[in-house]
Amino acid sequence: MQISTEELADGVTRIALDGRLDIAGAAAVDLKMNVIAGSAQKLLIDLEKVTFLGSMGLRSIVLPARAVRSRGGKVVLFAPGEMVESVLKTSGIDSMLPIHHDLAAALAALQ
Amino acid sequence: MPGETAAKSEPRLTIQSRLEDLALIWPWAESIAEEHVLPPATRFAIHLCLEEALSNIIRHGYRGQPGRPVTIQWAAGPGELVFTVEDEAPKFDPLAISPEEPTSAPSPADQLPLGGQGIRLMRKFAGSLAYQRLSAGNRLTMTFPIQP
Repeated sequence: MQISTEELADGVTRIALDGRLDIAGAAAVDLKMNVIAGSAQKLLIDLEKVTFLGSMGLRSIVLPARAVRSRGGKVVLFAPGEMVESVLKTSGIDSMLPIHHDLAAALAALQ
Repeated sequence: MPGETAAKSEPRLTIQSRLEDLALIWPWAESIAEEHVLPPATRFAIHLCLEEALSNIIRHGYRGQPGRPVTIQWAAGPGELVFTVEDEAPKFDPLAISPEEPTSAPSPADQLPLGGQGIRLMRKFAGSLAYQRLSAGNRLTMTFPIQP
């Protein structure tokens, strides 16, 4: 599981996850996710290259997102694949973290 | 046909009750998927349900105690693959857990329930689930529909 970050325009922080967000993958990215979430106010979590998502992976997304939102920040989920999106919707996470497949719409939602 | 050249997968896999051992499941499940030429969605569902079931056993059934066995077996039934997961833990029926329901309205950040997500996912992605208490453990049976 790989994680990378990028600062976009208008104060948006993009976290890109690449690989399987299974138990091992979640453990590999948890620390960095929480460090990034510690300072981000507008967070775009790019899931385009995530090939698997389980319940432990959901925690790796939800807990940092809660931290951002608790400070009045915003979080969106970007471009999950079909099965990953099905996991997100089954869990109800999309009720808290909106899913966008269009980058412009995702960035607009963070403003 | 790609499946005809795939190596026969082992019908049974036993791991120890360590979360790190879950990594052994992936290649084993992949070999089964290759043998049956499973579509990506079915592969995803099998991986997901196996991970959630085993994670529940290790964390809740065995309460984090390492070195305890978990055995997974698979078999092909009519139009389905059947996975059976057995342990030697105290009685633990994951199907008896009622996952918290997410609210239909947008939730405040701290109200999204994280508990019970594993069983919610298993109910959604497995064709069927069945629990049976054994004389000294638990058995969870999961089925996944496949093309004949």
